[in-house]
Amino acid sequence: MEAKDQKKHRKKNSGPKAEKKKKRHLQALQLGDEEDARKRNPKAFAVQSAVRMARSFHRTQDLKTKKHHIPVVDRTPLEPPPIVVVVMGPPKVGKSTLIQCLIRNFTRQKLTEIRGPVTIVSGKKRRLTIIECGCDINMMIDLAKVADLGAKLFYLSGMVHGEYQNQEIHNLGRFITVMKFRPLTWQTSHPYILADRMEDLTNPEDIRTNIKCDRKVSLYGYLRGAHLKNKSQIHMPGVGDFTVSDVSFLPDPCALPEQQKKRCLNEKEKLVYAPLSGVGGVLYDKDAVYVDLGGSHGFQALDEVGSTHELVQSLISTHSTIDAKMASSRVMLFSDSKALGSEDIDNQGLLMLKEEKQMDLKTGRMRRKAIFGDEDGSGDSDDEDDDEMSEDDGLEYGSSDEEAEEEENAEVTDEYMIAKGIKRRKLEELEEDSEVDLPAFADSDDDLEKSSAEEGEVEEADESSEEEDCSSGERGISGSKAVGEGSKAELSPSNHQSDPVNLEKSLPMKKAALTTSDSGHCTAEEVFASEDDSEESSSLSIEEENSENQEALRKKLLKPSQVGSGQKLGPRNFIDETSDIEDLLKEEEDYKEEKNDSTETSGALKWKEDLSRKAAEAFLRQQQAAPNLRKLIYGTVTEDNEEDDDTQEELGGLFRVNQPDRACKHKADSLDCSRFLVEAPHDWDLEEVMNSIRDCFVTGKWEDDKDAAKVLAEDEELYGDFEDLETGDVHKGKSGPITQNEDVEKEVKEEIDPNEEESAKKKHLDKKRKLKEMFDAEYDEGESTYFDDLKGEMQKQAQLNRAEFEDQDDEARVQYEGFRPGMYVRVEIENVPCEFVQNFDPHYPIILGGLGNSEGNVGYVQMRLKKHRWYKKILKSRDPIIFSVGWRRFQTIPLYYIEDHNGRQRLLKYTPQHMHCGATFWGPITPQGTGFLAIQSVSGIMPDFRIAATGVVLDLDKSIKIVKKLKLTGFPYKIFKNTSFIKGMFNSALEVAKFEGAMIRTVSGIRGQIKKALRAPEGAFRASFEDKLLMSDIVFMRTWYPVSIPAFYNPVTSLLKPVGEKDTWSGMRTTGQLRLAHGIRLKANKDSLYKPILRQKKHFNSLHIPKALQKALPFKNKPKTQAKAGKVPKDRRRPAVVREPHERKILALLDALSTVHSQKMKKAKEQRHLHNKEHFRAKQKEEEEKLKRQKDLRKKLFRIQGQKERRNQKSSLKGAEGQLQ
Amino acid sequence: MATQAHSLSYAGCNFLRQRLVLSTLSGRPVKIRKIRSRDDNPGLRDFEASFIRLLDKITNGSRIEINQTGTTLYYQPGLLCGGSVEHDCSVLRGIGYYLESLLCLAPFMKHPLKIVLRGVTNDQVDPSVDVLKATALPLLKQFGIDDESFELKIVRRGMPPGGGGEVIFSCPVRKVLKPIQLTDPGKIKRIRGMAYSVRVSPQMANRIVDSARSILNKFIPDIYIYTDHMKGVNSGKSPGFGLSLVAETTSGTFLSAELASNPQGQGAAVLPEDLGRNCARLLLEEIYRGGCVDSTNQSLALLLMTLGQQDVSKVLLGPLSPYTIEFLRHLKSFFQIMFKIETKPCGEELKGGDKVLMTCVGIGFSNLSKTLK
Repeated sequence: MEAKDQKKHRKKNSGPKAEKKKKRHLQALQLGDEEDARKRNPKAFAVQSAVRMARSFHRTQDLKTKKHHIPVVDRTPLEPPPIVVVVMGPPKVGKSTLIQCLIRNFTRQKLTEIRGPVTIVSGKKRRLTIIECGCDINMMIDLAKVADLGAKLFYLSGMVHGEYQNQEIHNLGRFITVMKFRPLTWQTSHPYILADRMEDLTNPEDIRTNIKCDRKVSLYGYLRGAHLKNKSQIHMPGVGDFTVSDVSFLPDPCALPEQQKKRCLNEKEKLVYAPLSGVGGVLYDKDAVYVDLGGSHGFQALDEVGSTHELVQSLISTHSTIDAKMASSRVMLFSDSKALGSEDIDNQGLLMLKEEKQMDLKTGRMRRKAIFGDEDGSGDSDDEDDDEMSEDDGLEYGSSDEEAEEEENAEVTDEYMIAKGIKRRKLEELEEDSEVDLPAFADSDDDLEKSSAEEGEVEEADESSEEEDCSSGERGISGSKAVGEGSKAELSPSNHQSDPVNLEKSLPMKKAALTTSDSGHCTAEEVFASEDDSEESSSLSIEEENSENQEALRKKLLKPSQVGSGQKLGPRNFIDETSDIEDLLKEEEDYKEEKNDSTETSGALKWKEDLSRKAAEAFLRQQQAAPNLRKLIYGTVTEDNEEDDDTQEELGGLFRVNQPDRACKHKADSLDCSRFLVEAPHDWDLEEVMNSIRDCFVTGKWEDDKDAAKVLAEDEELYGDFEDLETGDVHKGKSGPITQNEDVEKEVKEEIDPNEEESAKKKHLDKKRKLKEMFDAEYDEGESTYFDDLKGEMQKQAQLNRAEFEDQDDEARVQYEGFRPGMYVRVEIENVPCEFVQNFDPHYPIILGGLGNSEGNVGYVQMRLKKHRWYKKILKSRDPIIFSVGWRRFQTIPLYYIEDHNGRQRLLKYTPQHMHCGATFWGPITPQGTGFLAIQSVSGIMPDFRIAATGVVLDLDKSIKIVKKLKLTGFPYKIFKNTSFIKGMFNSALEVAKFEGAMIRTVSGIRGQIKKALRAPEGAFRASFEDKLLMSDIVFMRTWYPVSIPAFYNPVTSLLKPVGEKDTWSGMRTTGQLRLAHGIRLKANKDSLYKPILRQKKHFNSLHIPKALQKALPFKNKPKTQAKAGKVPKDRRRPAVVREPHERKILALLDALSTVHSQKMKKAKEQRHLHNKEHFRAKQKEEEEKLKRQKDLRKKLFRIQGQKERRNQKSSLKGAEGQLQ
Repeated sequence: MATQAHSLSYAGCNFLRQRLVLSTLSGRPVKIRKIRSRDDNPGLRDFEASFIRLLDKITNGSRIEINQTGTTLYYQPGLLCGGSVEHDCSVLRGIGYYLESLLCLAPFMKHPLKIVLRGVTNDQVDPSVDVLKATALPLLKQFGIDDESFELKIVRRGMPPGGGGEVIFSCPVRKVLKPIQLTDPGKIKRIRGMAYSVRVSPQMANRIVDSARSILNKFIPDIYIYTDHMKGVNSGKSPGFGLSLVAETTSGTFLSAELASNPQGQGAAVLPEDLGRNCARLLLEEIYRGGCVDSTNQSLALLLMTLGQQDVSKVLLGPLSPYTIEFLRHLKSFFQIMFKIETKPCGEELKGGDKVLMTCVGIGFSNLSKTLK
């Protein structure tokens, strides 16, 4: 049996395998492939036809060009966000198990429960966010929009002990880690966040009074895609559109390892972060502190679940209103040793805890990781009156040892981060209080820019501010005290705003500049107002600036020295090195640019004179010459908004409306003109004034590198000397200025040898470089195509994009470019429906999709649509359908249309079966080129394929041009020759007037035109036709009627449904569904029903030709009517013969006899015929024989005759011969 | 329901054009209140009404609400439509007033704009059509808006108060703009100009040319000032003359200055020699201010930088005009975009006043009106 089953092996004759074999075979025979053939037999491959050659060349070029993609600027961030990996499949197939196995594979940790996204560090440069997709189409649609790795299938062989096999998981992990992705246009052009944490920030009091009140939530996650701007519009799929009320970035909870040298990751660097699943590192943000007790199983976030863990017990969390929480969320510290005491306030007692410190020497950044697991965090906290201050302090537990309270060893980097958090928070308060967020922003930014410079060197700054600016320090402290009291007394906005200023004075070690950030420019003014000591404060601020200058200076000076020893360096250091300072002033100016010059006083700078007069002067000049434009533009002057003014006045009369605002108001109604008039014209007759712009002209002096003469001289110098090989002459180039200098130097000082050598070396290098450039220009760049150029341009742009803001501090950077992808951000959103919070289900992804400009608006969206070929039904116009376009999912009512050749958009009742058609709906404006899909329903589970249609957005508009055909019919009621009066088509003369000149037609095809309305009956008109009508004719006119689309746009708010019912969202029903539900049958038109066809028999009349016509016809066309034979008269008719029986018998016998006779005759005839034939044949034979005989005879005869003749001839010849002889 | 982007609110009639233009581009509705509310003649003026009508003509689906006194304006922008449009501008302001806004909007239409504007081509207040043609068009070309159909043609000249001028402006549409890096203004290689005179002696133009040359010749020899004397129907309804000067640099930057005579019946008569000299001095002032974009077009350049792809754009400007400063603030409120502003002090080289380097990252704007084929 088995033997029978086996098929005989069949050799492959085609396909790659066969070809391979053939090739091998040929090679074995030394015949080789085509290439060899070319070599062997070049003639066979010579050009046969130039045209074909050209064509084939053209084709190959075409194919090559087709492969090119339009180059785009590479905008991927340097530190990309984690890659989103979505695991999806039907229920109970082991998705969670797979995720667990993957996480274990990467991090050696085990998560018991997977909820929401899990972020892990998978490699040196890659992080993954793994998320599980449940069996809900909403979730699938949403996740597909954020997934980087979605559509791949993996085969895993069975489970062992409830887990997948290690090796397979490992392979899968490797596959994921090395995977490369194709960037999607939508994702790269829109910012989005896959939120991994959600907090409700609503005031509990509001919730208590109204449980259904709109909520304020904060969402956390990695920003992906594009830059996100503050206050921009976002869409949350399943919830709705919102405006971001605040964004801030947080330290990365799952950061990539800093050092890249190692081959693989440390165990410590294999982080996992999944707050929704209750796993994550330590996390500080303004709402709470989260601690992960790693190593063992997952935990709930600490503030969410009261843990009994001993470490956690020491964690203090406040359960108060959000304001209070924000104000007091300061000290959540882990310690089992010291209690928090007010003694710690004065020396800014810091809470310590063990930590692992990593210092990056290059950047001077400290990277610390607090270790909570097994090492005891020890520390203490202070509790100061001033909330902000205490918070600041409290969060500083990060510093390494207790001595840090001595103001020296502040770990700047971390504080920096924390301070930022505080700043943001303060900002928020500020907003709440006065709604003057704009200036504050701008200001903060300024200072933060500075702060970036000071990073890492603050210890010196502190000291300097103590040692040198002790007076200012004192003032500052006193100020802070004063304000501290103020804040105790009342939590007025002024305090909030003045705090930072004081803070930076009293805590000089704490990155003064950083905290100034909050003293927004208007706040500064407010401070002056409240303290009633504008002079002092102004000088204060100036001194602060000065100290910052110094910091900056000293930073430069101390660069080479160790950070730790820096504290000992006093002012002497830099007094000695004035020359260095001079050099550094240039750099300093950069920092100074953003400085506030509003309170500029020259006196405040006097202290600097001992430093270096020049420095001070330069600084002064800088301050005067470069007014701080940024502050002028974004800072001081708020929008001349009436509301702003009102709120400012509302602030208890404490603040005056600032001056620029007033000016603004003044000019609010002035002339709107873009011309920039010259206020103080120069006197252009003066020589020096004229000289001031001399160099703006080509006739003026050029820059060194562009000056033709200089360049020429340089070239001369480099290429000038050469040796003429023929003559052997050596031409020396003119020695350039450098060499001349060298000579002089040589003469004067012999000691500066190295200098000279250096310059010679430099010259040599220059020469080499020039030569190389020339070579490159000649050989490399000769063949650059347009494509290459374009690519190069894009490359350049990408580099510029990266480089432009690279050196800036993050806080400043986000102001300019927005929050860049890869950042871990916290987004605050207000007015979120309460159901979102109440029915929060961590299994469902929360996506914040950024919207571009006017993408929040609605209009008509036109798209190209095709019914999905797996979908069983066709789609009907005006049936509600759910679209997924951009970030959104929404139900709307589309109209389908098809575009005629003349551009008319004709309405379709249904989509075509297998063809594209157009679709238009009223809904959110989405950029052209965006793809979409459509489904009929998102609720429940369906056995059928659900995706009804797919397509792309083509056009956006505020009106539509879709038309449907409308035939108007009328009937003639009076017919003249070619003119008829038609009624029944219109109802009034006015309607007719609108259609004068329109084409009309009868059913029989007679064309005509509407001429003019008739007086009676109403709506009748005169029309002319190309032929006379009949009364039975129906006249109709084809018109196109514009259709309107119902303005129906209903977002699918599936996330607002209760937990467990999130996949039950149902929107508007179609008429079909409604009919089905209510059992209403469609009333069929009787005329449309099918009935058996009954056909009447057709009756034709005979052809009648008039007599006259008949007469006129030629004979051949005349009807030929044959005269009927007349009747035989009776007398001519013969009587019938009636036979007797006897006669009949005789007749029968005669008949029989005649039959026999005839038969006999017939036979005889046949016989005779045969006989004749025989005879004829015999005769023929005889004849032939006779002929033959005769022939032979004749032959014989002729032969004899011939012989005789020959003989005769011979004899005659003989005779002749004889005669001759 | 899609939340309508919350509207922005302003007070006063100043910067009306900016606000409406930015509103149109960003899709955010804008409400302007207290328009000349304290004035004896409150509300919108004719030229502003004409501007609003123009906006209505080039957009589709805009909603404009003006209260009875004209002191409050609510504008909900539609989509830019374009196509062939004709518009009679108010003679109270020059065509430049309207054209400046059109330059901002024209590249983002659904159909290429081809507009005929009638009114005052040259006046003393607004940048004249000549100047815009010589400076704004090359600027737009830097952003990749370039085509053979891209042109501004002066058919007739009209001087205030009568007007009667006519220009044709046509502009192609673009989906995206290129980022620019204009940091080197180059050196001025030539100066060109246009001395025009309508309904006055043709000799006026020549007198202007001579006097302007007398000043400019001290700096550069390559000067050519065209004279343009229009007659008949092409000369508009009022007499007048004027001069516009444009300095072109080696790197394709254009700096301009212009002056026009006083309108008929207003102010004293101006001598063409004085006008020429003053205009030349104004050009020198403009050169002193410097930058890669002249002072009139600063805001245009900044707008187009903002509307670029998400790439860094840089431009070196002279001192920022008050109009530009306000424009920057408006850009921030409409597009949440902030410019990095670096002051570049003039050094030892004799190149005029301080410069400002403006840097921004484009917002990734794409033309939402353009149809995909």
